[in-house]
Amino acid sequence: MAGRITAEDGRVRVREALDWGSLGPLRLRSRAAAEGTYAGAHRSARKGAGIEFGGHREYVPGDDLRWLDRHSLLRHDRLLVRQFETETDRAVRLVVDATKSMGYRGKRAPGSKLAWSAVVAAALARVAISSGDPVGLTFIGGRHDARGAPVAGGRESLERILDELEGQRAEGDAFADARLLEQSLAHVARTSRRGSMIVLFSDLLDLPDRSVDAVAALGARGRVLCVVQVLDRDEVEFPFDESVRLKSLEGDVVVETDAEARVHYLARLAELEHAWRSALVARGARFVSLDTSSDPGRGVRRVVEAMR
Amino acid sequence: MSFVTALALAIAALVVAPVIAHRLRRKRAEPHPFAAARLVPATRPKARRRARLEDRTLFALRALSILALALLGASPLVRCTRLSMSRSGASLAIAIVLDDSMSMRAPSPDGRPRFAKAREGAQQIVASLHEGDAVAIVLAGAPARVALAATTDLGAARTALDQLEPSDRATDLDGAIATGGTLVGALPQVDRRVVVLSDLADGRPDGPPIGEGSAVPVWVAMPELAAPVDDCALLGADRAGVHVRVRFACSGVGAATGREVRVKSGDEVLGAAPLAPTLRGEVLVPAKPGPDGAEVFAELTGKDAVASDDRALVLIESGPSSIGFVADRGELSAATGGASVLEQALGALGLEMTARSLPQVPDQVEDLAAFAALVVDDPPGLTPEQRRAVTTFAERGGVVLLTLGARAASAPLGATVDPFVTRPFTWSREAPAGADVAAAAPVLGESALSLAEFSPRGRARIADEDAAEMDGVVRWSDGALLFGRRTRGRGELWLSTMPLSLDLSDLTLRPGFLALLDAFAAAARERAVPRRGEVGAPWKLAGAREVSWEGPGGKGEPARGPDGLTAAPSLVGVYKLRVDGASELRVAAPVAREVDTRPRAVAPAASALSHGGARATVDISWVVALVLLGLVACELVVRSLTARPAEEV
Repeated sequence: MAGRITAEDGRVRVREALDWGSLGPLRLRSRAAAEGTYAGAHRSARKGAGIEFGGHREYVPGDDLRWLDRHSLLRHDRLLVRQFETETDRAVRLVVDATKSMGYRGKRAPGSKLAWSAVVAAALARVAISSGDPVGLTFIGGRHDARGAPVAGGRESLERILDELEGQRAEGDAFADARLLEQSLAHVARTSRRGSMIVLFSDLLDLPDRSVDAVAALGARGRVLCVVQVLDRDEVEFPFDESVRLKSLEGDVVVETDAEARVHYLARLAELEHAWRSALVARGARFVSLDTSSDPGRGVRRVVEAMR
Repeated sequence: MSFVTALALAIAALVVAPVIAHRLRRKRAEPHPFAAARLVPATRPKARRRARLEDRTLFALRALSILALALLGASPLVRCTRLSMSRSGASLAIAIVLDDSMSMRAPSPDGRPRFAKAREGAQQIVASLHEGDAVAIVLAGAPARVALAATTDLGAARTALDQLEPSDRATDLDGAIATGGTLVGALPQVDRRVVVLSDLADGRPDGPPIGEGSAVPVWVAMPELAAPVDDCALLGADRAGVHVRVRFACSGVGAATGREVRVKSGDEVLGAAPLAPTLRGEVLVPAKPGPDGAEVFAELTGKDAVASDDRALVLIESGPSSIGFVADRGELSAATGGASVLEQALGALGLEMTARSLPQVPDQVEDLAAFAALVVDDPPGLTPEQRRAVTTFAERGGVVLLTLGARAASAPLGATVDPFVTRPFTWSREAPAGADVAAAAPVLGESALSLAEFSPRGRARIADEDAAEMDGVVRWSDGALLFGRRTRGRGELWLSTMPLSLDLSDLTLRPGFLALLDAFAAAARERAVPRRGEVGAPWKLAGAREVSWEGPGGKGEPARGPDGLTAAPSLVGVYKLRVDGASELRVAAPVAREVDTRPRAVAPAASALSHGGARATVDISWVVALVLLGLVACELVVRSLTARPAEEV
């Protein structure tokens, strides 16, 4: 890890946080067929002029006679057309939760959860773009003037994504304002084509009820969904040893508690993770839980592996 | 009060400073942002509670420290008064006479029992003694007793004082003062004194003043204890038919006014009668019988200074002890008629013992329970059951006189007179004219002369071995045994080889026989303890091997003296004794004179401060300083124990 990922002024230092060279060998792969516009490295749902044999189908008038299987015609007296696999690009949609709770940063963390998510998201964008896949960026909450980035490929798109990530701040209360999540998810669902990869970064702590269903719905229509739960080390371990008043960052929840609550808290956290994981896996989605004290590069690899 | 003292006391106002500091500390902690707060269960603020406790401890320590500081600064003002001995410089030898009598149970003006105050005074006096001083402790409850012989071990004196408890005994002030004077009189210390801590109520308000004529100077240290109080005591209660006769004593007429005696069994009132407004009297309470086997008590209503003497167990028989006799009344009666010679003889002796005739020797020892002694005149032998009953009666403290005559000698086979005589004996019509006067004189005195010739018409002749087992009291002029005695268990067996019948001799008409009967009755009285006795008077349990009892003060063990085991009840109430396996019920009753709470006068010399001692004021600055030091140390310990680790940044 390349040091702290949050500057003194709270700005996310995405570009300085990663060893970009280490990401070179990584490729975003998925067994699901993609439905891209351009040629790419992913197996396409469509058949076409390719090299790898993809099976036969009945001839219909209009088919290119070059692909008529004459052996089949002579042996079985049937008109069959030979098909070939094609490869296309696969759009990657990065959805980053930028509500207030993602701004939490524990004493031992290199940065806030939003900053850490931004670094991992940027890395994924770099990996995807270097593979020729277009990448789009959508925020849940965050600054009013942050618009995310449309799905596009190329160096310019990456720079725009990096700029958006670096300029983002944790704002908004998704618990109190359910529309923040609904609008973002609806936008992603509407603009993501079949076979798209959707990677959602969130702590999942302050999302409204039934959010799990709304998020899991993104995995429908052949899309590949990976939900990355990003937690701070404090949230994983509950390090408080004495009486403390805790105030949630979203929703006005203040609790007075002490170390005795650790067991119950960890149990509830495990229940939350289990609920998300079981709901997502049941719909073919992936679930990865990471904490911000870990190396973002390792987080990138975990996500890449989960997508396969 | 000087300005400096007032200023020092003003420091105490700073006690509010810790209050303010603690209130400032009690602000709630700032909320700590935590994204997952929604998942954290709220717990009881244990840590805050702990902090509050810690805070309170610290607060108390700091507040006390400030108060102690203020007291220390004002210590010339703050002093405490303690009882102590004045001294000329030489070492002291004092005998502390501590009154533990029943009247010391009365409350003092401040509400505490007089005994507690007196003991506290004794502790203060012992605390004021120096190394080399000697102290002895004498208890003034009758009889006066030495609680601690003279010693220079002041620690032992403190321990002895701590262990002293009040009793219901009468007061023996003169005896205690004399004992105390004796204890310290021979000590090498030049300055010797007897310190009296008593209410001076020994039932002799007109007696000579305390301290007058004493060889050792006497100091009545706590005169404030001497004040008359109202008290009534029940001295005894006896069932007499349908009535219960209750004897009582009061300290004054006013103490009895408006009070009544109730006879109760448990909570059931069997009868009641008002208390006569006299100092001493008797109340006849008509009372129905209580349930079978249940103990019945007489109780005084109302309250007085001493509560322990307001209740007495009702006894069925507790009058003077009786002497039972089994004899042919015709043979024991004079031709002129009237009571038997034995009854007349007991009446002539003026004994508090009555003679009761029995038709025959009882088969069961329980039938002899009402008797202190038994006289069996020339019985036609004793059946095995009678022998067992008589033997057991003697072993439990009874005294039995058996006379042997013609009937006894001709007893049927199996009806022996064992254990008096175990070998065959005969009745002889030949007998000397009288007894050996010279040998009988030491026992019978001048009356022995009357036995020189009593015209016997025969006598029993017993085996020499049987005669040898007896201690000869009176012998025939030929040296044979006439009257003998020997110990059997706790009692005695007396044997006469001459029957009491007037037809056979005029022995029973002789003054010498009265002397013999007096000795016999004295032996019976020594062993027969009435069921009710005065508290403090020891019960002699001569001949008993194993004794234990349980009384108002719990279980106790007897003391072993030269006359055998003795038990001295120190508390009024019912005692259940177990003597050699047999159960006895005895009652310790209050002493009438102890109810008189009027104090004795005190000789001027005994109350002189210069002579007897002085009330000293003791500077407590060093105590306050030590307390302050301890508080500071405690605060440091508490702070180190409750210090929190530095917060991570």
